[in-house]
Amino acid sequence: MSIPSPKPTSPDAATTNAASSDLVLLVRDPIDPAALIRQVRTGADGAVVTFDGSVRNESHGRRTLYLDYEAYESMAVAKIREIAAALHEKFAIDRVAVAHRLGRLEIGETSVFIAVSAPHRPAAFDACRFAIDTLKRTVPIWKKEYFEDGAVWADGELPPAPANTSDTSTDTPIAKPAS
Amino acid sequence: MPLVATRPEGYNLLVPTASPTIRVKVLFFGRLKEIVGRSEESVDLAEGAPIETLFARFGACHPELARYRGSLVASRNQEFAAWTTPLLAGDEVAFLPPVSGG
Repeated sequence: MSIPSPKPTSPDAATTNAASSDLVLLVRDPIDPAALIRQVRTGADGAVVTFDGSVRNESHGRRTLYLDYEAYESMAVAKIREIAAALHEKFAIDRVAVAHRLGRLEIGETSVFIAVSAPHRPAAFDACRFAIDTLKRTVPIWKKEYFEDGAVWADGELPPAPANTSDTSTDTPIAKPAS
Repeated sequence: MPLVATRPEGYNLLVPTASPTIRVKVLFFGRLKEIVGRSEESVDLAEGAPIETLFARFGACHPELARYRGSLVASRNQEFAAWTTPLLAGDEVAFLPPVSGG
């Protein structure tokens, strides 16, 4: 995983322009957690909290062989950036780094890695949890699970959509998808 | 096209002008891409037509796609959008299955 050249770290980076030091990546090579931790840690921080999402060897009792991730890449990056911006609004944090892997992933590999730095640990824990929970609900990324006897697109979560703007909406009733 | 400027005198202004045709880009992901058999398509339709109309166009060709309508959200230009959102020339639209990243 290659990381864009690191932004210069100044002592007041945490207070002046933290969001510009955030890092959002979609990568096809293995994620390098150490590089992301380095990206978020500054002298102003007392904590870095990370979430390392990895490929599990089973799904609903079926043995998983591998996963294949795809994304609506431009929108996914924009949505993750929105999450990072929300973290700065909601929590007293310093920097955020999020990397999500795409393509084929083997069991045990890291699919998503989130690092959040903060002067004090409670904000870093809360922000990291909020980030992964929100990412899983709102970022347009999909995984296909491959088993010994077939493959399925994972049951996902439906992002919250804006309400229809028209009072005269004429949504035709459509059967629910077979699942 | 500036139809208004070329209207002859006495043209009945109460008759609405037909909406100009626009072209939008439609993207498919995940199982929708497998159903449609491609990841991207350009579509011509009337300016201001809602996203729902665009989806119906594809649903008519791909009945299996129509079955998923209730479990999809729409996006316009990389933002989640209501199905009633009117479309303009050059818009990028996607129909998004439930997301499963992480």
